[in-house]
This record gives sequence, structure tokens and C-alpha cells, in this order.
Amino acid sequence: MNRIGHSPWRSAGRGVVLTLATVGFLFPFIWMLLISLRQKVDILQPEKLFAPFTLDNYRELFASGEIFPYFANSIIIAVVNTVVSLFLGTFAAYGFARYNWKKREDRAFFILSQRFLPAMAVVIPFFLMATLTGLLDTVWILIICYTLFNVPFTVWMMRGFIEDIPIELEEAAFVDGCTRLQALRRVVFPLVLPGMVATAIFCLINSWNEFVFANFLTITNAKTIPTSVMMYLSVSGVQWGQMTATGVLAAIPVLAFAISVQKYMIRGMTFGAVKG
Amino acid sequence: MRDSPKAAPGRPALTRRPLPGGTNKPRGHLKYVAPTMTLMVVLSIIPTVFLAIASLTNYQLGWSLDEKRFKFVWFENYIRLFSGADKAFWHSVWISVLFMVLATGIEMVLGFWLASMLNNSDSKLKPLMIGIMMLPLAMTPSIAAQVWKLLFSSEYGLLNAILNGVAGVKVTWLGPEMAFWSILIVDIWQFTPFVALIIYAGLRSMPDEPFEAASLDGASRWQAFRYLTIPMLSKLLYLALLLRAVDALKLFDTAFVLTQGGPGNATEFLSLHVYRLANAQNGLIGRASAVAVVLLIVVMVVSRFLIKKQRKAAEASG
Repeated sequence: MNRIGHSPWRSAGRGVVLTLATVGFLFPFIWMLLISLRQKVDILQPEKLFAPFTLDNYRELFASGEIFPYFANSIIIAVVNTVVSLFLGTFAAYGFARYNWKKREDRAFFILSQRFLPAMAVVIPFFLMATLTGLLDTVWILIICYTLFNVPFTVWMMRGFIEDIPIELEEAAFVDGCTRLQALRRVVFPLVLPGMVATAIFCLINSWNEFVFANFLTITNAKTIPTSVMMYLSVSGVQWGQMTATGVLAAIPVLAFAISVQKYMIRGMTFGAVKG
Repeated sequence: MRDSPKAAPGRPALTRRPLPGGTNKPRGHLKYVAPTMTLMVVLSIIPTVFLAIASLTNYQLGWSLDEKRFKFVWFENYIRLFSGADKAFWHSVWISVLFMVLATGIEMVLGFWLASMLNNSDSKLKPLMIGIMMLPLAMTPSIAAQVWKLLFSSEYGLLNAILNGVAGVKVTWLGPEMAFWSILIVDIWQFTPFVALIIYAGLRSMPDEPFEAASLDGASRWQAFRYLTIPMLSKLLYLALLLRAVDALKLFDTAFVLTQGGPGNATEFLSLHVYRLANAQNGLIGRASAVAVVLLIVVMVVSRFLIKKQRKAAEASG
């Protein structure tokens, strides 16, 4: 694939730029990790790069236990929302992939356009409606709100995965006397399972990282990890040690997930448009 | 038109012929699609209508609905916005649009550049580099923004420690002049890999033959780029543009954590302007709703336009 740039200088320059860029992209994460491993007194002295490491911040975090409800809420909301989104979205995706009707593409793009709703614009009506219905500050309101971006995502991802399956396999099942739902369960479902797992993981990551709804539709009971940054802004300044320790703990599952779906990463970022 | 299973890879992505097994029923798709369509309509139309109604009132946070002060002021909130008297609103519109253009433009150019370098590189470290580029995308944005806040800190920040050591200068990164650019830096850090990875995937899947033919015909590298690479990638470029432009326009968490819209209103993007009007101290739900409606319309117009472009490009490239 080397179309251009065979000269050694060019390739050396490329190596340098790519390395620098990669280090730049990595750096804030490494910095967060380093801060979380430092003594409180060392955190505000950036020149002490190699001050002795300590796990004190993590110990304090676990000892106070304040962060546990945040993690619990994040997990409940992410899991329930993902299950709901996947269930609804996959059925819709099947309809879009296997049926043809006049307004199909318009409907598909209507669903996609929900992904572009600015959270800050719809959070006001959601706040008022949640207050009226008593859903404010419960995990339910966030589970509902997160379907706004996870359902469109699932529909578009799963539609691509279903369209990848040769339709002849289903037709063969029909010939053998399967009903459509049986064919769906026995033929389509096992074949799209890897895609479904990948889609689920992307949904989990999306819910896990969401901030606007989480911050404005909760007060104390349903707070999630991304809003924990607000907790660490105390009058005496920011508790950097515990905050970065939380950040590291929050990033671990996301990173593990991201690595596990690396193969589908591009596909996930492009709503299934790139089957890279 | 029947493709055999062997020909499946070349099969058009969209199946346009009816299926057997009861599929010829005219509204067969409904039972699959209807639940999701209903949910999406309910979750988008109802709040939008609610927001539109709220924007026509003078409602404030904490008022009960039977209060005498509460009334429909009709278009007063909008007249205030568009009469030009509301400087803060126009400032928000201006910096939001500026941010969208700069962030999207810079990320597209840098992303393209990185992607083509990745594509031409045969380094063994490529998978590692690609893995690392996913980090800014996976990190929780609000926490990442907090880490950047510490890096930007003028007294205790690493950036100033380095600048001070190397050049003997200190920059107030989050001061009135620099705050906008600092947020832009964070956005570029976060989303350049996003653009780069998408374009890299596109570059990798491009066939070699047109380029070989072009170079035999004596086309320059610029010509090959302009007349082969860009058209072949247009579907992906529009997609990246769409996702970046819309997300930059609705930017909230990074700016909220880094500056809360300040200092003053230096970084009060439209989303943050809505927040400032509606938050607990001001509670001006009516006025905030009017700004939110404007934000909604701007985002809709931009996304509609880019979706149309993207659909056309996708149809053209098949």
C-alpha cells in the first residue's frame, strides 16, 4: 500500500510525527494515573515527576465509601438501558434490513436524528416532566433518557450486521418450514451474536460516560460516575488524589471493553457505515 | 437479480426484493419497527413540544403552575433574543459557531494527515498506536476535562511548569483570553483520533488500481488526492464532518468542567448559556427554553444539511 513516500527521510519523519502524536493522545491518561498514585503534598508540584508512589488515594476512596453508590448507579443504568436498547433496536433493525417500504430510509434517518438532539436543550423538559412524574433523581429517568442515543445507535449498527447475513440462509429456513420468528431465532440471531455483543459494549460505554442528563436529572440518589467530578470540588479546593483515583477506576472497565471490541471500533464510531 | 450465496460479498447492501414466508404482507415491517418508532417519537416530540410551550411563558424554577405570576408571554422571550439587545445570547451563538467551525476544521485536517501517515507507515507499532488513539475516545469526558484542568492550572499545572522551564513564560490557560482556545485544545485532543481512525479505515479499503493508472497517466500527487482520494472517501468524510460538527455545536461537558462558561461569559457556548439561565440561581426556565429552542433549531439545520450531503455521497459511491 506504499503509494507515496519511499524515501527514508520521509518515513523517518512520519515515524517521529506519529510517535509524538501518540504520546500526546496518551499523556493525559498517564498523568491521571500518576496523580492518583501520589501523596497529596506532591500533587500540586508538577516538577516532582518521580515522587514515591502510594496507594493512599485509593485506600481513602474505599475507606470513605462515598463513591460506591456512584458506581452502583452507573452499572445499573448502563446495564438496564443496554438491555432495553438492544431488544428494541435489534427488532427495528431487522425490520429495516429485511423489509422494504417507501419511507424506509426517511424513517431510518428520523431514528438516527435523535442521536443529534442536544442534551442541554431537551434536559429542561425532561427535568420538568420528571418532577411531575416523580422520576427525578431515580435511575429510571436516566435509563429512559439514554435510550435517546443508544436506540438509534443499536438500530443502525444491527441493521448493518443483519444485512451482512446472506438472505438465502433465511430463505432456506422458510423453505424448511420455519416461521419468520423461528428463522430469526435460529438463523439470524446466532449469526449476529458477535455484532450484538459489540453493539452492547458500545451502548455500555455511551451510558457510562454520559454527563448532561446525569448531572441535571439527579440530585443525590441516582448520581453516576461522570458527575462525581462535582463531588470533589470542595471549598478547600479540588481533591485531586481521590478524583483521579475515581477516574482510573472508571476508565478500567471502559478500556477493557474498548479493547474487546477493537475489531468493531471503526464500525461503532461510524454507526455501522464503515465495515472496517 | 437473484444472487447466489457465493456472490454474497458483491451483493448490494440493501435488499430490495420481497422475502417469502409471509413477507409480502404490505405492512409486515410494522411489528418490528413500530415499538422503536413510537418510543423515539414519544421521547423526542413530547419534550420538544413541552420545551416550545415553556419558551412562551415566564415560568421560573420553583413556581407552582397555579401561581398568579405565571403567564404566557408569547414571543417576548424570542423578541428579547432577536431584537439584538441580548448581547450575551449573540456572544454565545458566535462562539458556538466559531468553535464548531474551528474544531471541526482542525480535527478533519489533522485527522486526515494522521490517517494518511498511518496508512503509509509500515511500523510494527501501528496496532499499538491505533489502540492508544482510542483512549481519548473511551475516557469519561468530564473526568478527562478535570485532568486537563489540572494540566492547565497556572500555578500548579504541568504545561506552565514546562513553559516556565523552557521559555520562562506563564500562560493563564483558563483566563479570559485563552479559555476558548484551551477548550479547543482539549476537543482536538479528544476527537482528532476519532476522525483519524475513520479516515484511516477508509484509506485502507481503497483499491490500488486507480492510483496506479493515474500515476501512469502522469497525474501529480495533488491531482490524485483531489480527484481520486477525496471523491472515493466523500461518504466517510461527510460522516465524520456530520458527527464532529453536531457534537462540537452541542459541546457541554468539557467546557462546563473546565470553565463553567467563564471567566465572565468568555466560554459561554449555547449549551452553557441555557444552563446559566436555567440553573438553580437564576431559574429562568422560560427564557432558557427559548435559547434551547434556538440551539435545537441550529443543530437540526446543520445535521439535516450534512445528513443530506452524506446520503447523496453514500448513494453516489454505492
